[in-house]
Amino acid sequence: MLVSEIDMITPSSLSECLMLLSKKGRIHRVIAGGTDATVRMKEGKWRPEVWINIKNLNELRYIEESDDCIHIGPLTTHTDIIHSPILQRKADVLVDAAREVGATQMQNMGTIGGNIGTASPAGDTLPALYVLGARLELTSMSNKRTLPIEEFIFGPGRTVLKENEMITKIIIKPQSPNEIGIFQKLGPRKAQSISIVNVAISLTMEQDLKCREGKIAFGSVAPTIIRARKCESMLPLGQLNDELIRNIAKIAWKEVMPITDGRATATYRRDMASALLERGLYRLMRRWNNQ
Amino acid sequence: MKSIQFVVNGKECTVLCPPAKPLLDVLREDLGLTASKECCGKGECGSCSVLINNEVVCSCLILTGQVENQKITTCEGVGLSPNLDVIQESFIAEGATQCGYCTPGIIVSAKAFLDGIDHVPSVGEIKTALGGNLCRCTGYTKIIKAVQTAASKKRSETETIG
Repeated sequence: MLVSEIDMITPSSLSECLMLLSKKGRIHRVIAGGTDATVRMKEGKWRPEVWINIKNLNELRYIEESDDCIHIGPLTTHTDIIHSPILQRKADVLVDAAREVGATQMQNMGTIGGNIGTASPAGDTLPALYVLGARLELTSMSNKRTLPIEEFIFGPGRTVLKENEMITKIIIKPQSPNEIGIFQKLGPRKAQSISIVNVAISLTMEQDLKCREGKIAFGSVAPTIIRARKCESMLPLGQLNDELIRNIAKIAWKEVMPITDGRATATYRRDMASALLERGLYRLMRRWNNQ
Repeated sequence: MKSIQFVVNGKECTVLCPPAKPLLDVLREDLGLTASKECCGKGECGSCSVLINNEVVCSCLILTGQVENQKITTCEGVGLSPNLDVIQESFIAEGATQCGYCTPGIIVSAKAFLDGIDHVPSVGEIKTALGGNLCRCTGYTKIIKAVQTAASKKRSETETIG
């Protein structure tokens, strides 16, 4: 299939889009921002017979708070996330992560639904969504289901999304005033880079630098994003002081399972996973102290 | 082939092309607007930057069928000699260009950035705003200086008018 032979349909509503997805016949694929889809088309990996273009399907682009949850439309761009007052206040770790995606152009084009659907082990918003306990609504013509993001992604680029389904909503729990979060990333340079390692941390704090519970998710150190459960279980053991933070970081070195690839070696990734977690925890403690 | 309509630099255009043809190729080949350049072709370098509805994007990754009825601005739309924009004049004044390949993309990014703020930006702010535009000759110092110069000129102009 040549690029010049690929057709495009632009549905004007979600229901029309779902109807198109349910049709058998021509091989189709959904395209939104195009930051991954177009690259794959150019590389010859994705050559559908027809692109279903949802770029301007504005009914799927929103950030709303209702029923004690924050609802995010899948076509919300990274720029929308960065500028959202609701997310800045109640999902700081996601705003942090969106700022680290590419640079201005990619943030204007790329969507959160696309970042989830692409399911890259290095996807920057994913660890943030893991620690915020994100749930995804998947909709087809005949069905609607909601599942945790951890059950949605099962390998690099591999998800449970069926051919006739699309991600129609991302639901996260807003942080309470005593919850603080941070996203840390190491890339080859500051802007416009793919993560070598990244980590999202969300902590529920109590008095005297004590943490009641916390969630830690690493990216780029395993086939999917992973929760560092051993590190998490150490968070409530006492005051988050130098000693405890260093001990947690040591456990992180053992808990991640990175590979060597073009971007970094496995050992370097382990060292950096440990260092990023340590730095993230220090920064969170400093911020909590100053609040 | 499809007939696709959109507005480029204030003019309505209709092109007949495959809908999956990247916008950059249509701008350069079908419309003769060759300021925007192809370099990496995958959204890493920013040479192909254009504005769509006043937001900077990579035209090499947007398919032409996706910009139906949208408003596109290329570097030609920012300003053409002898009616150059203050940003373009500042780039010349500061010597912020060498081979010039990345310059149209940077000017478009700077345009979107400066239109969205009303102060003279810090070096850090400019670095963040232009993070998606790579230049392999000048080393950025003069580019950053040019954006600051343009911002101060713009401010003094608005103050004079105001």
